[in-house]
Amino acid sequence: MPKYLFIQRSAPRTPQQKPQQPSPAQMQEMYAAFNAWKEKFKDNIVDMGGKLKAGGKVVTESGATDGPFVESKEVVGGYMLVSAENIEQAIAVAKESPGVISPGSSVEIREIQEMPGS
Amino acid sequence: MNGGPVHGRLSRTSAAPGLVEHFFRREYGRLVALLTRKVGVRHIDVVEDAVQSALLAALTAWTTRAFPDDPSAWLYRVAHNNLIGEFRRKAGRRRILEQALVDVVESVNQPEPLGFAGEVRDDLLRMLFVCCDDAIPRESQLVFALKTLCGFSTGEIALRLFTTEANVYKRLARARDRLRAADAGLQTPPLDALKSRLPSVHRVLYLLFNEGYLSANADLAIRRELCDEAIRLASLLAEHPVGAVPETFALVALMHLHTARLSARTDGAGGLLLLEEQDRSLWDRERIGLGAEWLKQSASGDVFSRFHAEAGIAAAHCFAPSFKETRWAEISDLYAMMERVDPSPLNIMNQAVAVAEWRGPEAGLALLHALAPPSWLSGSYLWDAVMSDLHRRAGKRDIARQHMDRALASAPTEAVRALLRRRLTTPAE
Repeated sequence: MPKYLFIQRSAPRTPQQKPQQPSPAQMQEMYAAFNAWKEKFKDNIVDMGGKLKAGGKVVTESGATDGPFVESKEVVGGYMLVSAENIEQAIAVAKESPGVISPGSSVEIREIQEMPGS
Repeated sequence: MNGGPVHGRLSRTSAAPGLVEHFFRREYGRLVALLTRKVGVRHIDVVEDAVQSALLAALTAWTTRAFPDDPSAWLYRVAHNNLIGEFRRKAGRRRILEQALVDVVESVNQPEPLGFAGEVRDDLLRMLFVCCDDAIPRESQLVFALKTLCGFSTGEIALRLFTTEANVYKRLARARDRLRAADAGLQTPPLDALKSRLPSVHRVLYLLFNEGYLSANADLAIRRELCDEAIRLASLLAEHPVGAVPETFALVALMHLHTARLSARTDGAGGLLLLEEQDRSLWDRERIGLGAEWLKQSASGDVFSRFHAEAGIAAAHCFAPSFKETRWAEISDLYAMMERVDPSPLNIMNQAVAVAEWRGPEAGLALLHALAPPSWLSGSYLWDAVMSDLHRRAGKRDIARQHMDRALASAPTEAVRALLRRRLTTPAE
C-alpha cells in the first residue's frame, strides 16, 4: 500500500477562552473527536512520527540556508507516516484528525515514492 | 481539624472550616516559589524557614490584632523581612560580607509587585520543574513537591504517603542537598531552560494524582485534596506555553475524568464499591465536562502517550450509560495501545478484564495465561483477585477458590478485603 507523509502545521496558539459547561451532546462530540483521532493510531499508522525541532536548514544547489520555511507564520508541529489505498483515503484520514478540524491548522499530505527494490 | 487554641480562634473568624489551612498552604507554596526565584534554589531551606516563620507570625498577629486588608501582601512582607534578616545574620557571622550574600540581599530588596496571576503561575511552575531535577532521587521529587508547592508539613506528607515522618524528612533532605550542591548560580533557571524536564514533571503530577486516587486510605477528604492539588498544578502547566502539549492535556483530562467518579466509589460507610455497583447518577457531570474538553484538546499531534490511553479508558467509563453498555472492545484496544507506548504486564491484566466483559471469561483467561507475570505481579492481591474472578465466571471453581484465598490473605486493607470477598464469592452466572 502506498505510504503518505503527513506534515502537520498549526497557527500559534491563541489564549484559551474560559469554557462554558458543555451540554451532554457537546461532551459526546468531544469524546467522539478524541476517538476519531485515536483510531489513526490503531491500523493506518506506520510510523508514529515525532515532533520536529524548531529551525533547521533548507538545502539548495547553492548551499544551505536557514529558511525560509513555507510561511513563517505557520508552525510545523510534527509529521506522521500513514499508509492508505490512495490519496483520497489519505485525505479522509487527515480530515478526521483534529489537527485539520481546529481553526488555523492544516496537514500537508505527500505520497512517498517507493524506492526501487524496497 | 488539628488546630491548637490559637488556631481555633482564627478558624472561627473564617468563613468555613479548613479554609485557614487551605489558605496557608497555598500561600506557603506561592511564597516559597516567589522567594526562591529571587534568591536561587540553593537557598531553599532558608526560604522555607522564612516563610514558615511568617505563617506562624500571622497566626499570632491575626488573632490578637485586626485581620490585614491584604493577607497575602502581609505574609509576603514578613517572609521577605525574615529572609533578609537571616541572610544578614549569616553574613555577619562570617564577618566578611561575601559578595554573593550582598547580591542576595539586594535582589530580595527589590520591591515585588504583587497580584499578577501570571507571575504566581510562572513561579509555581518553575518550582515544579526544579522539583523534577533529574539529580533528585525519584522518591524525593514527589515529597519535595508536596512540601514546597502544596505546603504540606512532613507529618501531613507521611500521613498521605503511608510512611514515617523520619522517612519523609530523609527524602526532603536528599532533595535539598542535591539542590544546594547543583545550583551555583543565584537565579533559578528560566522555565524555557527546564523544558526538557517535562516528562519528569508529568510523572510527578501523575504520581501525586495517583496517591490521592488509588490510595487505600479511606478518608475521602484527604484523597480528594491530593487529587485537587495535582489537577491545580497540571492545569497551570497545561495553560502555560512551556507545558501546553497534547500529553499534558491528556494528563489533565484523565485527572478530571477519574475524579468525576471518586465520590461514587465508596458506600458512605468507608466500604469500597465495584464499578458495577456504583450509582452513576453520583458521578460529577461538571468534572466529566472538563475532562471531555481537555480530552478533545489532547487529540492532536503525532504522539499517543500513555496518558492518552488512560484518559480514553476513563472517558469510556464516564460516557457509558451502564456497566453492561460500556465499550469494552474500545477499552481493550486502549490497553493494547498503552502496552505499545508504555509496556507493563499490568496493561495486559487490565486488558484481560475488559476482554472478559467483551468476549467472555475464557477469552480474558487466554490473555492471562499467555502472560508470564513477574513475581511482583503474581504475588499481588490484584493478580489473584483477577485470576479468581475470571476462573469463577468460567466455572472453574477449584482454581478460583485457591486464588481467592491468596487474594484475601494479601489484601492491603479491610475495605479491599471486604470488596474482594463480596465479589469473589458471587455465584457464577
